[in-house]
Amino acid sequence: MTSVSIHDTGALFQIAEPTDSRRAPRRPGRGIGIDLGTTNSLVALAPHGAAPRVLRDSAGSGLVPSVVAYTADPPLVGRAAQALQAEHPSQVLSSVKRLMGRGLADINFAHPYHLSEETPGLLRICVGSPPGSQVGSLPGSQDAPGLSASSRRVTPTEVSAAILRELKLRAEAELGEPCDGAVITVPAYFDDAQRQATRDAGRIAGLQVYRLLAEPTAAALAYGLDRGGEGLFAVYDLGGGTFDVSILRLHKGVFQVLATGGDSALGGDDFDRALAAHLLQKAGSSEPSPNQLDAARLAARAAKERLTEETATRVALPGLPELEVTRAEFDALIEPLAQRTLRACRQALKDAGLRAPELDGVVLVGGSTRVPKVRELVAETFKRPPLADIDPDEVVAWGAAIQADILSGSAREGVTLLDVVPLSLGLETMGGIVEKIIPRNATIPIAARQVFTNYAEHQTGMVIHAVQGERELARDCRSLARFDLKGIPRLPPSMARVEVTFQLDADALLTVSARELMTGVRQSVEVKPTYGLSEEEVDRLVMDSLDHAGDDYARRNAAEARVELGRVVLALRTAVTEVGHLRDLLPDDERVRLEAALAAADAAMADPDAVAEPLNRARTALEKISEPFARRRMERALNAGMAGKSLHDIERALADEEALQEKRAGHSPELLEPEEP
Amino acid sequence: MSVDTDPFALFDLPRRHAAAREAIEQRYLELSRAAHPDNVVGEGTAARRAAVERASAINAAYRTLRDPALRAEALVKLGGIDLDSTDAERGAPHPTQAFLLEMIDLRERLEDGGPAGVAAVRDDVEARSDAALDAAVAALDAGEVRRAAEQLVARRYFQRFLDETDSSAP
Repeated sequence: MTSVSIHDTGALFQIAEPTDSRRAPRRPGRGIGIDLGTTNSLVALAPHGAAPRVLRDSAGSGLVPSVVAYTADPPLVGRAAQALQAEHPSQVLSSVKRLMGRGLADINFAHPYHLSEETPGLLRICVGSPPGSQVGSLPGSQDAPGLSASSRRVTPTEVSAAILRELKLRAEAELGEPCDGAVITVPAYFDDAQRQATRDAGRIAGLQVYRLLAEPTAAALAYGLDRGGEGLFAVYDLGGGTFDVSILRLHKGVFQVLATGGDSALGGDDFDRALAAHLLQKAGSSEPSPNQLDAARLAARAAKERLTEETATRVALPGLPELEVTRAEFDALIEPLAQRTLRACRQALKDAGLRAPELDGVVLVGGSTRVPKVRELVAETFKRPPLADIDPDEVVAWGAAIQADILSGSAREGVTLLDVVPLSLGLETMGGIVEKIIPRNATIPIAARQVFTNYAEHQTGMVIHAVQGERELARDCRSLARFDLKGIPRLPPSMARVEVTFQLDADALLTVSARELMTGVRQSVEVKPTYGLSEEEVDRLVMDSLDHAGDDYARRNAAEARVELGRVVLALRTAVTEVGHLRDLLPDDERVRLEAALAAADAAMADPDAVAEPLNRARTALEKISEPFARRRMERALNAGMAGKSLHDIERALADEEALQEKRAGHSPELLEPEEP
Repeated sequence: MSVDTDPFALFDLPRRHAAAREAIEQRYLELSRAAHPDNVVGEGTAARRAAVERASAINAAYRTLRDPALRAEALVKLGGIDLDSTDAERGAPHPTQAFLLEMIDLRERLEDGGPAGVAAVRDDVEARSDAALDAAVAALDAGEVRRAAEQLVARRYFQRFLDETDSSAP
């Protein structure tokens, strides 16, 4: 029997079924794989069993910088946004993955943003006034946006949604049709709140999220299927902002994760920061301005990349003397960070019950594994040279694309992914102690059941606090949510029995349901997530984006209707000018009605905000009124010397007339139907 | 007892402690392949929930079957004693007075021992924990469920002791 801290809350049971999306028919081959990275994101396709392929821009780059500029509406994403970063540091957002599923108190690293947390656990980034208003565009107004009442605040989830939307558009342009759904990768070490935020971002971007896939598992899938690998593998994944290590067993198409570990706030960005601080110090800049810091970080990143090939490089910081930095200096700076990753590797091996020599291979993933010191330390720890022959920037997207293809219903060689939950799930008990109910590295999906009882007869409710983490005390773990159980029958102490099921699904997301054991009635539970958007807020954002999608659709329709109407008007005006004086072609009364319809069409087009409907109505009216005129012109063209011609000639003449009509932007092709005399 | 709560039935294995690791792994892969929620992505809520529940049961059974201590506890539970319950009849047997005194003695040794002493006590407790599991397995093989339950309760005390020692270590 579990004794869990129980608080009297009164009131009735509340039933909130787990999030549901209605049944959606799958469209094989239209699943897309997305690697939503801290620094860069990618989208890849592998339709109908094809080899995975990362989608590239015209310059050949598959990397879309994970940067969103709120200097325009809709915001700019990728390279276009990145170009504005120096000019608008607080409105151009990068590395928001580090903010996903986090609260203000968690943000203990330097960043140029104005963060706020009006709702507990829901971080917002102030991105200044909407474009077009004065405040945001004033030079030197860096601090003003945070104070402006009209300024816009976005959640990291919405920023990620903007990136996902961009990737979705890129994929749809390639597919030539809407995509069906997506597999989005997340660091294996992401906790429930971070995963939930990612899933929400997908929904807001209008994507059916088939599955959240752990990044190292995705990489293993790409490697395993590419190489036909069998055996035990470690995947060392050091990205821009996150680190993961997973130990997997590959056997006959089953990818079984045995253990995983990592740090969701450690990556190549930290290498840049360490080097930037070092460079500034070396250049004698003791109190750099935010702009100097930014410039130093960019210079540090470039220097880091050069030091992969070179053993020393020169760095110029704005306003400071040029200086040299050696690879040895850099290695010394990052060694403590790299050591943190190695501790996680040793723990993961231990959790998997393995020793390094038992592994069959070590795979490197993530751009930061290009750093020679990292490679050297990984080789030392796993006692073998690591594999990095698939581009470490792209391999995760490859795996995501393969899994997306499978989940879209393509007939692809069967693959089963068995992943684990990275952090133990626990409940807060008396005295703030955590009782673990699902251990870390348990294969998901998995459920735990606990029976709760009342401690007093007057108690009719209880609050269950779920946490994630390995520490003993709830306050040292990650708070996930409070679950409010209500309506417990009034019974003597310890007689009421409510069985609560904690279900982690295949995305490692938690849902909780409850059953009163005396009646067997299934109850659910009111959930108060500690971090992130509530269900209602996500729904609202999804609706907003659909509204916007609706707006876009309406605007496109109106534009098309305007073009069509313009073509009809132009064609008729041309015809009237050419042959309108011939009464047998255009009788006076008809001409009057035609002129009136043309005037009405002009009036409809004069409204720049006109929607499609009045424009289409004007066109229909015009076509109807002009139909006899068009027919008579056609007859005239046919009669003019058609006598005695072969059917072939007539057909060709008709085709010529059709081409002519098109050239004139004409209309009424139905008049060419053979039934017409 | 339903397949949901009998991991041996779910995996089609004889209800005894000795289990071939290969057979468990093989069966796990077969069951997982057939029941994975990935197979029903895009289907209705009921189908998806059923798949998640089925896969959860398979994963839970796998975790139990591959761990010798959890496997022993499951057999005791199938024999009618639930170590997670405090029920006087069908719950975990109370430890004897002698056993509780043994635990107090171990804790005193831990506090007085200094760093070298801690390591020695730790090794001692680990050995006792292993011995308790061996005794429980022997009891299960002999069909003595209550005696097996007593040994497994003792093992839980030893394990808790080890966990606490490890988490308080520097």
